[in-house]
Amino acid sequence: MIPKEAIKEFESIVGNEYFTVDPVICEGYRGGPGGYECGLGYEKMMVRIPKGIILPRQTSEVRAIVSVCYQYDIPYVPYSTGFYGAKSHPHVENALLIDLKRMNGFEIDERHLLAVVEPGIIYSQLQEEALRRGMYVSVGGGGGQVSVIANMINDGTSPHSYRFGLAQRRILGTEMVLPDGDLLRLGSLAIQEDPFWGEGPGPDLRGLLRGGTGWRGSFGIVTKMAIKLMPFQPEALRPEGVSPQTSLRLPQNRVKWVNIRMPDHMSLKKAVYEIGKAEIGAAVMKVPLFWRAVARAKSKEEFWEIWSKESEERIQSFHLLRVLLIAYGSEDQMKYEERVLTDIVTELGGQAQRTKQTDESWFKNADSAGMWLMCGGYISVDYISETLDHAVSQGERMADLKRNFTPPLMPDYGERGWFQSLEMGHQGYSEYLIYWDPEENTERVDQFYLESAKENIRRRFYTALLGPNQPLYLTGPAYGRDYHQWLLAIKNEFDPKWLCHPPFPLAHDQFIDEAEWMKTLKDWKEPGLKERKVFPSVKSQTD
Amino acid sequence: MAQKQFDFDITRIDHFLYDMRGCIKCKGCMWVDHIYMPGIRFSTRCPSATRYFFDSFGAYGKMRIGLAYIEKRLPPSDTLRHIFYVCTLCGACDVGCKRNLDLEIGLSLEALRVKLVRDGVGPMPAHQKKADEIFLCHNVFGYPHKKRGAWIPQKISPTKGAKTLYFAGCYGSYIHTEVSRATVKILEASGTPFQMMDDEWCCGNLLFSVGMIEEAKRQAERNLSIVRESGATTLLTSCAECYRMWKVDYPKILHLSTSELGFEVKHLTEFVHEAISEGRIKFSIPFEGKLAYHDSCSLSRLSEPWISWSGERQQWGILQPPLSRRRGTCGVYQSPREILNLIPGIHWAELHRKKENGFCCGAGRGTEDAFPDFAMWAAEQRLEEVVAIGAEGIISACPRCKSNFLRAVKKNQQELQVFDISEIILASIGGVKKERSGDRRH
Amino acid sequence: MRITEDILKLFGPEQLYYNPQTLDHYSKDYSLFPSKRPDCVVKARNAEEIQHVLKYAGSNGIPVVPSSSRVHFYGGTIPQKGGIVLDLTEMDRVLEIDELNRRVRIEVGLTWGKLSKRLEEKGLRVMMPLYPHPLRSVVTDLLEREVITNTVYEYGESLQGMEVVWPNGEVFRTGSASVEGYPESICKGVNPSGPGLDFYRLLQGAQGTMGVVTWANVKVEYLPKMDKIFFIPVSNISRGIEFLSQIMRLRVGQECFFLNRMNIALIFDVDFKKRGERVPPWTLLIVLSGFQRYPEEKIRYEEDLLRNLVKGEFQELLLLEELPNCPFSNLEIVRMLRRAWPDPLTYWKQRYKKGCQSLFFVTKPSYVEKFVGIVEALAIQSGYKKGDIGMYIQPIEQNRACHLEFNFYYDPENGPEKEGMAQLYQKAVLRCLNEGAHFTRPYGEASRVIYERAPEYVRTLKRVKAIFDPQNLMNPGRLCF
Repeated sequence: MIPKEAIKEFESIVGNEYFTVDPVICEGYRGGPGGYECGLGYEKMMVRIPKGIILPRQTSEVRAIVSVCYQYDIPYVPYSTGFYGAKSHPHVENALLIDLKRMNGFEIDERHLLAVVEPGIIYSQLQEEALRRGMYVSVGGGGGQVSVIANMINDGTSPHSYRFGLAQRRILGTEMVLPDGDLLRLGSLAIQEDPFWGEGPGPDLRGLLRGGTGWRGSFGIVTKMAIKLMPFQPEALRPEGVSPQTSLRLPQNRVKWVNIRMPDHMSLKKAVYEIGKAEIGAAVMKVPLFWRAVARAKSKEEFWEIWSKESEERIQSFHLLRVLLIAYGSEDQMKYEERVLTDIVTELGGQAQRTKQTDESWFKNADSAGMWLMCGGYISVDYISETLDHAVSQGERMADLKRNFTPPLMPDYGERGWFQSLEMGHQGYSEYLIYWDPEENTERVDQFYLESAKENIRRRFYTALLGPNQPLYLTGPAYGRDYHQWLLAIKNEFDPKWLCHPPFPLAHDQFIDEAEWMKTLKDWKEPGLKERKVFPSVKSQTD
Repeated sequence: MAQKQFDFDITRIDHFLYDMRGCIKCKGCMWVDHIYMPGIRFSTRCPSATRYFFDSFGAYGKMRIGLAYIEKRLPPSDTLRHIFYVCTLCGACDVGCKRNLDLEIGLSLEALRVKLVRDGVGPMPAHQKKADEIFLCHNVFGYPHKKRGAWIPQKISPTKGAKTLYFAGCYGSYIHTEVSRATVKILEASGTPFQMMDDEWCCGNLLFSVGMIEEAKRQAERNLSIVRESGATTLLTSCAECYRMWKVDYPKILHLSTSELGFEVKHLTEFVHEAISEGRIKFSIPFEGKLAYHDSCSLSRLSEPWISWSGERQQWGILQPPLSRRRGTCGVYQSPREILNLIPGIHWAELHRKKENGFCCGAGRGTEDAFPDFAMWAAEQRLEEVVAIGAEGIISACPRCKSNFLRAVKKNQQELQVFDISEIILASIGGVKKERSGDRRH
Repeated sequence: MRITEDILKLFGPEQLYYNPQTLDHYSKDYSLFPSKRPDCVVKARNAEEIQHVLKYAGSNGIPVVPSSSRVHFYGGTIPQKGGIVLDLTEMDRVLEIDELNRRVRIEVGLTWGKLSKRLEEKGLRVMMPLYPHPLRSVVTDLLEREVITNTVYEYGESLQGMEVVWPNGEVFRTGSASVEGYPESICKGVNPSGPGLDFYRLLQGAQGTMGVVTWANVKVEYLPKMDKIFFIPVSNISRGIEFLSQIMRLRVGQECFFLNRMNIALIFDVDFKKRGERVPPWTLLIVLSGFQRYPEEKIRYEEDLLRNLVKGEFQELLLLEELPNCPFSNLEIVRMLRRAWPDPLTYWKQRYKKGCQSLFFVTKPSYVEKFVGIVEALAIQSGYKKGDIGMYIQPIEQNRACHLEFNFYYDPENGPEKEGMAQLYQKAVLRCLNEGAHFTRPYGEASRVIYERAPEYVRTLKRVKAIFDPQNLMNPGRLCF
């Protein structure tokens, strides 16, 4: 339980209206049963209902809350929208959940192409404000509904990353409450009140915010962030339709999707490389056939009718390249880019296909939650930014691995995932989605998840999903090497009591230790709990 | 795991566990459809989640709390009851969820209220008081039943046996009689004979909405049999909540499809829209005003016909036979807009949150009765939006909305006009002589 | 001396230097920073040798200062507390040129001069700062955030996965270069991020205080097939900046920046004596480029956009296709932009008076005029000729921000002039800081006043530094350490 003295202090920080220990309200913050990783063993074993909920309005309140937590040894979890399923919810008993949605401050600076957001601001809000002023932002794959800050420190990739680049490059002046309550201002905020610049004086402590992905809030609470926006073309993207068929109508003279059917996988990859080399386009990706079925179906039943008619042969011969062209400068730019694109794909035997000139997915990203529709359970088991070659090879390996776990995974006929070009072909991003029925036994899904990490290590693939989504003591020695040692040292320095979202970054390790059906897969070594010397708040739980 | 034969009977909470378990916290139920997201302001469509902040007040929280309650992990409590009733059941969450996930959130919430009532936890005391008044006086206000028809203009006489039966509802009969009067004058102007029930009772919206399903069923059966016996082929309402009850919830309660009612249910706006196209109504008198149109929830996203379904749930959650979902796509959105487009002189504008993304006025489905402050807050939110788009007043197509907006305008001493669309229609066909009826009432 | 004796056991005499002349050479640079000799200099050739030095230094509490360039302008490698200078200049190989993935993997001592030449042979180029000194290390300059002149790529940053030897002697690889067995892997090291945390960020701007980078992957691009350069004389810099903002939002141009009269004259050798009369106060240079396919078409639509703006909102501006009185052809000017400065002996910043003290920071373009006024006024107060100040404005990220640089040319052999310069510089730093200048690269004495303004940042920096370098042996006395 949360001590009475602490309760009084929490109430005095935010007022009675915004703090509660009522078990009914707390139940509303349960991680499961749905969500990212829904129905998986991880969610069932690791997620706990918080014992208290607090809704601060400003950074000073967050600092005060964290200080009280440190005074009374109360584990706490920062929470923005809660969309990231199990891992954005408490994993230990008696935790305080710090719901940041009331921190919804927003400023936009058109002249200097940036917006300052607090954790309660979501992408579709930001995108609309930006579009209205002739700018745009890359809305992460998580969707229009995710907290901009949470996404920027945890993931943040989208097809727009082709031009925008990796998410962390767009993080400017940022304010963060460190796990022990200390305040850190990054970038120009380190010195002044203006957050326009991301680098602070000397070493760039934005390095603590995230790696390939972030740490689900376990390295501190970001309370404010300035992020870079990009200038857009001048014409409006007009919303049309009634739910669920809503989309943005693209002004084709300025913004256009081009779909090209390529003869084979190699030519598709080559085309993606060539497009990057020619420095055209605003987004370039390979689309899985699966998505086409999703786009065409008006219901789950219709999806399955379409999808069940597919076959391995069809999947292997479906090579759809999708390119977004944006004419930032003039309509002549559109003509030029179309001409270059046509040349490239024609040389490689590609044929343009008809496509709708609307967008549901990548400007305001309204349909990401639709990934759950087909089966009820969904997760991106891996996503990686490396070369385009890497994206293709890893896709093939993951497809092979998936076969051994289908069922319970949804039949996908050997689909090799999707990939896209990042930073104009300097990198390739690949992502492997898996789907399952959470009403069925999901132990094999948990196992697949772990096996994918092992496959990455065996094959020397890179991955964004290291410790936050896999056992740290499995991935740690394999990357860096021993990146986990530094990570844990930093965690220990800034969160000596391990109160900020415990047991991260060792959450997945604990899951493997405790889930009977995972134990047989554990073939790596790790120090015992005592040797880890790391998490008093977790130890009390597991001892 | 396949769920054998089930249906969407809201008295069977076990039929909704799949939907309740399927929530992924995307919060599509709370946010405006991201495609239509208007920016930082006016970005949500769920009044309770917006007002009370804690996740527990959004559908995502309610689904979790509901499951815990059903599975007896949470005992009943005041908080629990409060959470399930301080909710407008406006359907925003349901259409939001069906933008991507097709979970039956709206039905789950209705089923939870039925369960609460059956468990003796619900409804709220204020609801019980209202229910008693309905039983006693057949209206939600506890006003004398004999005065129910007092609003009918002397010069207008209903026609026995007419094909159209006008159901005025409690608000139209007692509080916003200008709406009922306008409606019958419009009927008259269009040359449409209409009948009324000899003894009109409340439609039972409150009873149904708060989970008093047995009582609501009795009301439904009684009303339905009268209409069926009347020979009417069209049941006309000018109240959106009555409209929804007749069109959607009566069939739902009685395990029918809307098409099996034996008559068509129409809202005044649908009727007028048709009459215009048939040349029976013409707008000739300019109606000056810079007004915003508010989609009443029960006319818009909640009004799609009910289709009775039963079948089984197979692997991946596939329904067999396939179900045509009610996603709010085919609500009555266009008719009022087409009407307003044809009214000369009027400058009407869309609110940021429109159609399926509309923000409830806060009044309906038992909310104002038990939580007047919350209902007031919701109306104030909506009026803020009216002011933000530069409109000078608001039009709705439901006297309940009008009533609640008027309360808010009065409380805040705003210079905003509040109209029911029937008043504007009437004025523009020449049914109002000089004065503008736009209420300010403060 | 014990250090040298010990190190001799680890390295042969050909890698260890401690004669006075050599120590003297490493004790100073082209900055105003006071000189200080190291105890010895070790020329390392690989990561293993670096490990030896760091482990030895760690065991014995001896400071280590990594040095990768052959020329230094900011005092960053002057060993303030003595110790070992770890000279990395011999680690200057191009380890890989991966044309497919548009990257090179290069050792830390590789210079701009060598790299740009190697890449040009392959039809490639690396994004470069403004005419870098040919003997500067590419990796160091990128780590130190030398701003690049090409701002069309929104994703910016060129550095990718790299290798670092941490102060404790452990070798670590960042980003996707962190996979086991790299580079014998399908991973090419193109992703700088991770593993776990963005370690590469901690190495940026660190001036060797966090570890020793041995090699890095760097993005390269194809050399354009066709270029066209425009010179736009600007008398009102605010109008020029407004014009630039508009064209950059349209994604027009590749290399693009402003130089003032003095710097134009120094760089392009423009009629040096008459620069006052012939050269406008500011010149905006903008290069339009066409790539492999339909290059002329791309240049045409970009030029149309430029011309439309000039015809419309900016009628006072002229699009000149040649730089007046310039001995170089346009083609040569564009080529120069993609190469290091050709001759180390006539480096443009040292051309006028041998010495150059640069004051630079990041700011918003709308503040440029204010800062120019401030710095000119301070210069005049200090008796420095206003017209002798070189100025360079590099727009960054669609001109939402810019790098503003003032070059004060002075004679380092002239004591009073040097002293006056030091005072002027210090005053200017303080004044600009007060007016909102953002210094991401604190050097020398200026770092003290800059860090005084950032107490929270300093506190956290020190906590992080103590994790990696608990004895504070890496380039001690630098930054806030």
